[in-house]
Amino acid sequence: MTEFFKKLAGIDRRIIYLTVFLATAIPILTKKTMKIEPLPEVKKAYEYIESLPESSIVMVSIDYDAASMPELQPMLETFLHHAFRKNLKVIMLGHWALGLPLGQQALEDIAKKYNKIYGIDYVFLGYRPGVAAVIINMGKDIKSVFSSDYKYTPIDSLPIMRSVKNYKDIKLLFGLEAGAVGDAWIQYGYARYNLPIILGTTAVMTPDYYPYMQANQVVSVIGGLRGAADYETLVGIPGQASIGMLAQSVIHLVIIAFIIIGNIGFLVLRRAKK
Amino acid sequence: MKKEIPLAITFISGFLLVLALFIPHKPFGNLEEIFNDWYIIVSGFTMLLGIDSLLEYNFKKIRRKEKDAPYSLILILSFFLTLIWGVTEIVRTPEHNPFSPTSTFSKYFYNSIFMPLQSTMFAILSFFIASAAYRAFRAKEFNSALLLVSAVIVMLGRIPLGQGAAPYVITVIFLIFAWYFYAESVGITETGTKLLYILVAVAFIALIYPIGWVYLKQHIPSFADWVMNVPQMAGKRGIMIGIALGGIAMSIRIILGIERTYMK
Repeated sequence: MTEFFKKLAGIDRRIIYLTVFLATAIPILTKKTMKIEPLPEVKKAYEYIESLPESSIVMVSIDYDAASMPELQPMLETFLHHAFRKNLKVIMLGHWALGLPLGQQALEDIAKKYNKIYGIDYVFLGYRPGVAAVIINMGKDIKSVFSSDYKYTPIDSLPIMRSVKNYKDIKLLFGLEAGAVGDAWIQYGYARYNLPIILGTTAVMTPDYYPYMQANQVVSVIGGLRGAADYETLVGIPGQASIGMLAQSVIHLVIIAFIIIGNIGFLVLRRAKK
Repeated sequence: MKKEIPLAITFISGFLLVLALFIPHKPFGNLEEIFNDWYIIVSGFTMLLGIDSLLEYNFKKIRRKEKDAPYSLILILSFFLTLIWGVTEIVRTPEHNPFSPTSTFSKYFYNSIFMPLQSTMFAILSFFIASAAYRAFRAKEFNSALLLVSAVIVMLGRIPLGQGAAPYVITVIFLIFAWYFYAESVGITETGTKLLYILVAVAFIALIYPIGWVYLKQHIPSFADWVMNVPQMAGKRGIMIGIALGGIAMSIRIILGIERTYMK
């Protein structure tokens, strides 16, 4: 009997790996979506974007790379659909050089679907090194940091940028964060220049931004794959995040089952030792 | 002089920047902007330093024929392949951009090699997290039991299937605790303590229905929100304030030249 509980307390990691693989792969392959009740913070973000007047200028910051793509790319794509559908104008830049092409590709693909014109409805500024310094200086004058876009076109010659000097002309920053750049946006963008911020964060980073959300220093936080699925549901375009919800549900239950099994083995063995 | 000059630069720059915050008039008012411009330029050059250091380290490994030398060789080859391919595309494409729609760099390198590799490396984490959760979340004492229960509540509260699964999960967890306290009571001879253990065991069984099947079945998402918004946030805020105070103290030490490890 003790042997059985020893096995429960020390399941071979290869069995865990195989279970995790199957619990993730099978639900994703079925491509089934689930009925989701959006979290309050995602509803708040959605409603804020909805309340922006037509032609408002919004800024998107790509602060992630391919590693966080499954969680953050659906958020970006949904936001771009939402923004273009509402005829908002989009300025995109980023602080993670390796992730910027992900933003650029999504921007170009989705803008094309809504017949948006580069330079009038959207612009891609690209990357400049020095996160905090870039954010602070843009608050004074965006042109002092980005004198041209990624195609080396002077930004003065782009109609969308003619009406933009600094953050006063930006109605929202939508930051997609896989690291600490979100802190810099809040500490410099919001605290110094009152820039309204919505952050889309990876699940591991989400708790870091809760204190800012409670203090109303960010409008809201869309956290992890669940947040992305909620946002997709609200915008009405179910995509990869909604498909991932079944996999996430199953894998959470599998991990809980493993934790319970491990504890049964552990507690029985501890009793037996006494 | 080798030490004094950097120390003086650090002291003057740090002191001026602090001063600039309190005097928003010229010549102090735009000091921060000037320093930030310099910082952006210097940040660009640090990339060159990084490349130099990376290549030197790996070339050394190859020269010494160390055990990991083949990996270093792959790194160096990948580095130059990326560099040459990227620069070629800047010259070749009409948009002068390695990520333009016509770029082969974007299509074959970034989208077909780099992105899948980086995603795969991160995706592997899910296997380790599951394995680590299984091993780490053990009810060894009261604190670890609390952590375990909080983790389970948040995991359940954040998934669409959570409400349906919560009553079953809570039933199993409470039954385990009830059994454990009852089993503990068997070896106890003192009547008062024995009774207390049995009472705790009974309480766990009695609470299964009201907590698992009534309260959590309805409110697991809001309970998970409460865990995130109250205890989690209190801890996080404490850590953040601690880090900020530590940062201020460290900055003062650096400005005053007490902390000099950055010069090594």
